[in-house]
Amino acid sequence: MTAPLLAAHGLEYAYPGGIIALRGLDLSIERGQKLAILGPNGSGKTTLLLHLNGTCKPTHGEIRLDDQPVQYDHRALNQWRRRVGLVLQEPDDQLFAATVGQDVSFGPLNLGLSAAETRERVTEALAALRVAHLADRATHALSFGQKKRVAIAGVLAMRPEILVLDEPTAGLDPHGVTHLLGALQQLHEAGTTLVFSTHDVELAYAWADQVALFHDGRVLCQGGTAAVLGDRELLHRARLRPPLLLQVTEALGAGQDRSQPAPRSREAVLALLRERLGEPASGVPVEPTLGHPRSGPLA
Amino acid sequence: MRAIDHHAWTNRWAGWHPAEKGLPAGSLLLLTLFLPPLTTAPLVLASMALVTVYGAGVPWRAWFDVLVAPAGFLLAGAPFLAVSLDFTHGFDLHLSSEGLWLALITTVRALAAMSCLAFLILTTPVTDWMAPLRRVGVPAGVVELILLIYRLVFVFFERALTGYQAQTARLGYLRVDRSIRSLGLLAGNLFQRSLAQAHRLEIGLAARGYTGELRVLAPERVLSRMRLAVGLGLVGLVGTTGSLLAREWS
Repeated sequence: MTAPLLAAHGLEYAYPGGIIALRGLDLSIERGQKLAILGPNGSGKTTLLLHLNGTCKPTHGEIRLDDQPVQYDHRALNQWRRRVGLVLQEPDDQLFAATVGQDVSFGPLNLGLSAAETRERVTEALAALRVAHLADRATHALSFGQKKRVAIAGVLAMRPEILVLDEPTAGLDPHGVTHLLGALQQLHEAGTTLVFSTHDVELAYAWADQVALFHDGRVLCQGGTAAVLGDRELLHRARLRPPLLLQVTEALGAGQDRSQPAPRSREAVLALLRERLGEPASGVPVEPTLGHPRSGPLA
Repeated sequence: MRAIDHHAWTNRWAGWHPAEKGLPAGSLLLLTLFLPPLTTAPLVLASMALVTVYGAGVPWRAWFDVLVAPAGFLLAGAPFLAVSLDFTHGFDLHLSSEGLWLALITTVRALAAMSCLAFLILTTPVTDWMAPLRRVGVPAGVVELILLIYRLVFVFFERALTGYQAQTARLGYLRVDRSIRSLGLLAGNLFQRSLAQAHRLEIGLAARGYTGELRVLAPERVLSRMRLAVGLGLVGLVGTTGSLLAREWS
């Protein structure tokens, strides 16, 4: 087995003033995965993410990048942050420049790229988040969802190996969520490792391939999404509920058979439900969205 | 302020090179100072108004709103120029023709000069001013600061407004004493939040390799010699007409 790309071992961290945020946390991030760090609000997820790019230094424990313990000197931090990009939850905390294009150009210029190369990166990153048309707009004139995508583009323009996102879907409407996940999916397919924190069990269930269940400064369990989110006792301890799609599947008596993976998309569960109700499977065409309200008898 | 900013970003000439707008408007401003004001200044005022509204497509209303505040100050101040006060023989206040003339000239000059500035701020986004500022020797740190303040003013403004609305919803401004208290609380809260925001901004910038310099790409603006020539042509036209008319009338 190869060593994880980025790993945390026995991480402990206390805020100045003594409030303990992390209590001996272990986490490992494999290349190319989509890892959800799932936990209730205020459980210390953001603090954990701040450790993943060296913003916070643990009081005990260590972070390993490519199986090497990380250093916290200036040079090492710069190298580290080239590889691990962090997107904050609140875009207004991150966007500082007056126009969208200028803000996205900040990272590439810090990498020492030329103006021409930077321009290329800006165009590419904005296109990847599907906001190329906003390049010359004033930052303050954007909607929340647009700001969020521009903030991600600003980090993406540095072409990090790992993209760490703090609550990427928080505050977005269903359409915005679909849009953002579409863009992130493309990044994932292009080889970027994605790590995101969320308190949304449904999002983790539908979208992550691994889940780290976070509670009280520790990772209770890290593993495949279906396995972790299928463990009611574990979820209860983390003060979370099992995903609705999983519960529906179970209520229908499917998914008990472990050899057959339970369906994880809304449309697959709806199809299963129709089948059980004896309706023809080819009903209304279902658009591939997440959490999108639909009309009809099954909405 | 928000209206000005909106027009600066969205008018038809927003994408033009700042020199195409700055040089003609600056020259017109100089004309109002050095040429006979009574003929030149109205011409400058009229041409700037027409160019802003019909050229750049900024609505009349916005143009008027920008000029109305300084015009108010001017009209309030002008009467004091027209009268003179003399204490050598007791108390002597009188209206002099000299003073009237001075008041009139100052008013038209100031209005015309204001119209040049109004044209510039209504047609040119803030970011376009930074390259020219660097050119005339303003230090990079100051320019960074201007841009950062410009960006954060809007964040701050939004927070102040929501804070005020939230207080109003709980009757924070019902009476004068409550209003003073609410305003104090709001100011204190905004101060704390600004500090916290500054801290988070630093984290976000550090994640993107911030090392003490906020370098961003300057907007790409191509100078059109044609447009600049037309602009300077207008300046020449206004200047000659103003001087000729003044000579004819004297």
